[in-house]
Amino acid sequence: MKNLQRYGLPAFIVLMAVLPHLLNDRWQAVAITFLVFAVVALSQDIVLGKCGMFNMGQALFFGMGAYTTAILNNEFGWPIIATIPLAILIPAIFGVILAGPIVHLRGDYLLVTTIGFNIVFVQVLQNNLGGITGGPNGIFGLDSLSIFGLNLSSQVAVYYFAFVVLILTLWIIRNLERSKSGRAMHYLREDQLAAESIGINTRIYKIFAFGLGAGIAGLAGTVFATQYAAVSPEAFDFIQSVLFFSIVLVGGSSIPGVMIGVFVMFIVPEIFREFATWRYFIFGFAMILSMILRPRGIVPATFGKIPQFLIKGGSHGAE
Amino acid sequence: MDIFLQQLANGLTIGSMFALVALGYTMVYGVMKLINFAHGDMVAASAFVGLTIYTQVMGQSTSLLAVIAIFLLAAVTMACVGVILERVAYRPLREAPRLSAVVSALGASLVIQNGIMLIWGPRMRIFPELVPQVYWDFGGVVISLIQVIILVLSLVLMIALYLFVEKTRMGAAIRAASIDQDAARLMGINVNSVIALIFIIGSSLGAVGGLFIGLYYRGITFNMGWQYGLYAFIAAILGGIGNIPGAMLGGMLLGLFNAFIAGYVSSTWSDAFTFIMLIVILIVRPTGILGERVAEKV
Repeated sequence: MKNLQRYGLPAFIVLMAVLPHLLNDRWQAVAITFLVFAVVALSQDIVLGKCGMFNMGQALFFGMGAYTTAILNNEFGWPIIATIPLAILIPAIFGVILAGPIVHLRGDYLLVTTIGFNIVFVQVLQNNLGGITGGPNGIFGLDSLSIFGLNLSSQVAVYYFAFVVLILTLWIIRNLERSKSGRAMHYLREDQLAAESIGINTRIYKIFAFGLGAGIAGLAGTVFATQYAAVSPEAFDFIQSVLFFSIVLVGGSSIPGVMIGVFVMFIVPEIFREFATWRYFIFGFAMILSMILRPRGIVPATFGKIPQFLIKGGSHGAE
Repeated sequence: MDIFLQQLANGLTIGSMFALVALGYTMVYGVMKLINFAHGDMVAASAFVGLTIYTQVMGQSTSLLAVIAIFLLAAVTMACVGVILERVAYRPLREAPRLSAVVSALGASLVIQNGIMLIWGPRMRIFPELVPQVYWDFGGVVISLIQVIILVLSLVLMIALYLFVEKTRMGAAIRAASIDQDAARLMGINVNSVIALIFIIGSSLGAVGGLFIGLYYRGITFNMGWQYGLYAFIAAILGGIGNIPGAMLGGMLLGLFNAFIAGYVSSTWSDAFTFIMLIVILIVRPTGILGERVAEKV
């Protein structure tokens, strides 16, 4: 396990860095999808896994980032790169505003409220509020990526764009885990009352987690919009949120676990295309089975460096 | 005024369907503290099972006896599915972290939903016309026989359930288990049987709800369970989750709310309005209308 942590991540990064040169066009597109969804799943992990808040609306922030990029590019003619700051900021601000009144809710109520936000968001997109979201068809025909006049429209360029975003996300999560706020989130997940009694402002950290997760998901949304040069409401449906929610918990809210979850949920179906109609039927069984066999996820998250002999039973409930 | 009375009638009809389905959510939540995400898909499955019983077993007969048989057979089938579901997907996770059971419920939902798709196909099917198309016109307000049957039968079932839970020994066991499982076990209540009983009752009520949905809307699709399930779940929360009269009240209120939004504002925004109302209620009164204020266990 220790070796996996020490060598696994660098090996994974090196592999992902050379990957597009080993793949043909179709599989490059699949690899980009993997990177984008991995970033969204990791952003969901900050809220759900690290902070323990039952958020089932992460596709909302993913979609908000994608639509921010699409609208700024399509309506106002901004280049894709210039939309990135707003595609991070707008979802992050919405994350903070939406989380503010609801973070005190108990687990299941929070879950339903976040589903609600997601459904309201999709309905707003479909009903073409303000005439800028393009209705049920969405927005298509976005510009391709370019920096300083350098045209980066090739699929490999989009891949490396997504790759940089994933590295950035991994770096943020690494730093988060080793920072004051990461420790605060860990304690408040383990026991909110105890966290409050040692002086952690749980409310602030919960809202912070929502905002941070939303910002990262928004950035992933920009990559998504760039890859397809289009956005449409059903890509950000709450069923997508359910998938991200499940990925984090089946994976065990650790970085390798989340990666495995994304791979199984989005890449394996591409390999077994002839069984496409069986996809969710089999996943449903896999979800039940993995929870029965490993209730804390395939690769459970570990936190800090507590000596093994001090851990009693090793049971940190995710509750 | 006509619009008002018409939407009142429509709202009570859909409200009673929501309420029937909501009872399944609220009873499971009351005892197991688990959102049974698969319940909505069981409701959808019931409509398809009813369709197959109609064509294969009843030989497309719409006599009163055949219709009653369809309802009973579908309810029994879904009760069996419910018990199996609990045995396979939920019982092994009773001591696990809460979120594991939630993921298992989501998995079960995917299995049932896509099981329906694999058996009956991905396209919309038309539910048979089990009840003759009779309409009464009360000065501009049109009420159909189907609406009357749905409303009356739902009320009868809900009153029966209420009396069962409040007046019988088995009902007392259900109430005890939903207050404190461990204490109930110490008092000699077989909690496993109580949970099985809850799944039998909840699933068969949901099955009746599914057949009503088929009768009322006619078109049934494999993925409709999420939509109706979500609405029913909102109804359960609205009334105070875990509270049986609350689910009935919540269902009726949600049905009326939806009908009036559709009648007076716009039907394309009904989902958004419903959820905004839900979010506001949860912020102001997180335990629902009839729910009691309980301190969270730490």
